[in-house]
Amino acid sequence: MEALSGPLALIGYGLAAIGPGIGIGIVAGNAVQAMARQPEAAGMVRTTMFLGIAFTEALALIGFVLYFLAAG
Amino acid sequence: MDQLVVAIECDPTQEVICTPEFVNELFETHTVFSIGGFDVNRAMLLMFLAAFIAIALLWFGFRKRRVVPTRFGAAIEALVSFVRDEVAIGIIGPDGVKYFPYLLAVFMFLLIGNLFEVTPFINFPVTSRMAIPLFLSVVTWLIFVIVGFVKNGFGYLGGIIWPKSVPVGLRPLVGLIEFLSTFILRPLTLAVRLFANMVAGHVMLSLMLVSSYVFITNAGNLGIRTGWGFLWMTIGFGIFLFEIAVGVLQAYIFTLLSAVYIQTSVHPEH
Repeated sequence: MEALSGPLALIGYGLAAIGPGIGIGIVAGNAVQAMARQPEAAGMVRTTMFLGIAFTEALALIGFVLYFLAAG
Repeated sequence: MDQLVVAIECDPTQEVICTPEFVNELFETHTVFSIGGFDVNRAMLLMFLAAFIAIALLWFGFRKRRVVPTRFGAAIEALVSFVRDEVAIGIIGPDGVKYFPYLLAVFMFLLIGNLFEVTPFINFPVTSRMAIPLFLSVVTWLIFVIVGFVKNGFGYLGGIIWPKSVPVGLRPLVGLIEFLSTFILRPLTLAVRLFANMVAGHVMLSLMLVSSYVFITNAGNLGIRTGWGFLWMTIGFGIFLFEIAVGVLQAYIFTLLSAVYIQTSVHPEH
């Protein structure tokens, strides 16, 4: 079990990165759409997009921390 | 130069290519000198250098008030007014000017600290040591918690644990999630985001540039694989440009999120 903890932690990190990857794709795609529809709101949309990405990314970052904790 | 020293724990007379045992050694630095048992290493010196450069840039940018600023002064002014107008006032609101000095200090320090990663002859991002992002995020955490309690009294904590805008049945669950997210996950993710980005960038750059050096110069007698060496070098310089963008973006995101967290304490109902 000890020998498996590193690889298992890596797989866990990979799984944790799937959801945020999809989420960031949705956030960025919709932001591009919003900017294309209303170019004058691009600054506001960009700020909100970074915020959305930051909150979505949190799950992947928790996975990253848990990888180090689990891999020991 | 026949030998290549990547790790500190390395005896160059024994091994031809010293590889680090563990990736952590890429981020360890030598003790340069010690004052009374207090060791000063390269990362600390770089930290002071980053702070010094930030102060010097602002000092020389605003030394004289001119009607028509110099090109350098205008660039610094654009940077400062970006943090003030877009981040401090744009996110927090008109009373965000109060928090502008903190946000500007964090932004300048992180910008220079991140760009050390791609500065020739330094090549070490100080923010890839967990202590620095963690300390800055703890300062942000203290600011937004204290501001929340000062502005709203204990209603701040009550509003997080027992949110009024949610149906009663869901309040314990949402309250628990909100509590964890506000007081534990926010500072943690703020620090880890910056740290992870910088570590990944430093590892990628080291890997690409060192392997291109090894392959092109035939250090370690691996056999000449110049083609591979040039391929790695091209990818390495691509990552170099990418890391400039990442460094600037991460400094901006750290400042932006600090401002957002402070804003949620100033106006908790939004």
